[in-house]
Amino acid sequence: MRRVATWLAIAVAAAGLVAFPYWSAGWESSRFATTVLRDILVFAIFALSLDLLVGFAGMPSLGHAAFFGAGAYAAGIASQRLATSELAVTLAAAAASAALLALVIGALVVRTAGIFFLMLTLAFAQIVFAIAFQWTSVTGGSNGLAGVGRPDLFGIDLSSSERIYVLVAVAFLAIALGLRAIVHSPYGRALVGVRENERRMRALGYDTTRLRLSAFVLAGTIAGIAGALSAYSLRFVSAQDVGIGTSIRGFVMVLIGGAGTLVGPVLGAAIVTYIERVLSSATPVAETVLGLVFIGFVLLARQGLVGIGRAAWAQARR
Amino acid sequence: MGASAALIEVHDLTRTFGGVRALDGVTLAVRAGERRAVIGPNGAGKTTLFNVLTGELSPTAGSVRLAGRDITRATTWQRARWGLARMYQRNELFAPLSARENVALAVASRAGPYRLFGSSGAESKMADELLAKVGLAGRESSAARALSHGERRQLELAVSLAQGPEVLLLDEPTAGMSPAETARITELIASLDRALTILIVEHDMDVVFRLADRISVLHEGRVIADGAPGQIRGDVRVNEVYLGKAVTVG
Repeated sequence: MRRVATWLAIAVAAAGLVAFPYWSAGWESSRFATTVLRDILVFAIFALSLDLLVGFAGMPSLGHAAFFGAGAYAAGIASQRLATSELAVTLAAAAASAALLALVIGALVVRTAGIFFLMLTLAFAQIVFAIAFQWTSVTGGSNGLAGVGRPDLFGIDLSSSERIYVLVAVAFLAIALGLRAIVHSPYGRALVGVRENERRMRALGYDTTRLRLSAFVLAGTIAGIAGALSAYSLRFVSAQDVGIGTSIRGFVMVLIGGAGTLVGPVLGAAIVTYIERVLSSATPVAETVLGLVFIGFVLLARQGLVGIGRAAWAQARR
Repeated sequence: MGASAALIEVHDLTRTFGGVRALDGVTLAVRAGERRAVIGPNGAGKTTLFNVLTGELSPTAGSVRLAGRDITRATTWQRARWGLARMYQRNELFAPLSARENVALAVASRAGPYRLFGSSGAESKMADELLAKVGLAGRESSAARALSHGERRQLELAVSLAQGPEVLLLDEPTAGMSPAETARITELIASLDRALTILIVEHDMDVVFRLADRISVLHEGRVIADGAPGQIRGDVRVNEVYLGKAVTVG
């Protein structure tokens, strides 16, 4: 009974989330709130994919933006060069490009761990950034890729800001639920095993190199989907999407929210995006606030917001 | 497989570290179902031998066969799939995971990790049975890091048994245990299925003579004696290099 009630509550909340631009239409700031929420959800997908690596598989990547950017460029370039706005085509191009890039980079980095993994992922992402920045004829270089078309889905026009929001929200829910199933599956538990003790996992008969590579490709693919959604939303791809700033932003979201949880990265995406988009128009020190918030979490709450919540809950139940 | 029907055949195994020959031409054959102890003073090469057997170290020269298959170049995870399990001397557990989850990961290895669906019910049930077998009933939900040293050794054994191995390598199973815990785990190992082939490295000679069908003595990377426990007790050289110093053999 409680299970049914829980799922019912989740379904109502999900429906409310997806329909936000419609039921909030009467608000004065509905349009602005919709774009902020949309950007939060895009980055929540990105942060969730990074958390699969950082929090679950124990692979702290500083180059995750490479896959976000690959997806964004692939979706934008596909829509322009193939002269199609079919979502199935451009999103598939984004996912496939990000997956392929993750496979190539992953094959070279997954045997390393710790600081070496951190530095190698950063280095490869910087190479991808340099390509995006300099290959002007394809990516637009420093001007970025402007005029990315908004997609159609089997003839349904998704170009209005409400509909693109609905697309992002539905993708977010599908990916969040999919990841929830994955982290509780035998596959997800094996990733946690690799995080906790790779030597033992090998001794138990797990090919841990392949497991780590599969997680890298899966996380890269999801980041690519987030990148495509960003390109559709903003109608623009910037070289900064591939840059270290985006990688770090994802990392900050994961750490503030709580690595190794699925709620944490979503909370982190909401807080960081809120500070950048809403607080920054109210105060010139928003970036400083973000920095201080991050330092506070690193020093005082390594488990992030979810960790604080769990501790409070345990205290209350005593 | 040779006429001896050996399950494990180690031939002329050598492993050097810089100028040190940790293993210097070790040849061993262990029959299926045998319980073989490998003894020797510290630095004799016992743990190096185990690391080469599991593939965590590659040998400088020589070969290792498991059930007739040459596994000298096989990876650690492949050997595990082919039936080799190891109980580590220093516990290699999943610290924040519960005892049940530790064992369930070992059980799940047989079906492989690429399963995105499917319940863990059967695996948890098997894990609980194994935990009861090693004396950890009631501790299933405790995190590995919350267990006492003795309990962690028991969990370590349960994890290696959960792989369903044909060959079990026990690296000092009683290390750091109290006499009561040592007696308990020794009887537990003695009661394991006789079909299971066991190689055991152990310093406690009471444990060795209680468990072993046959004993190999390593000294400076070489096998200096190999025989039934009675023969090893009577071997003058063995007493000189090892037993005489370490224990009084009755």
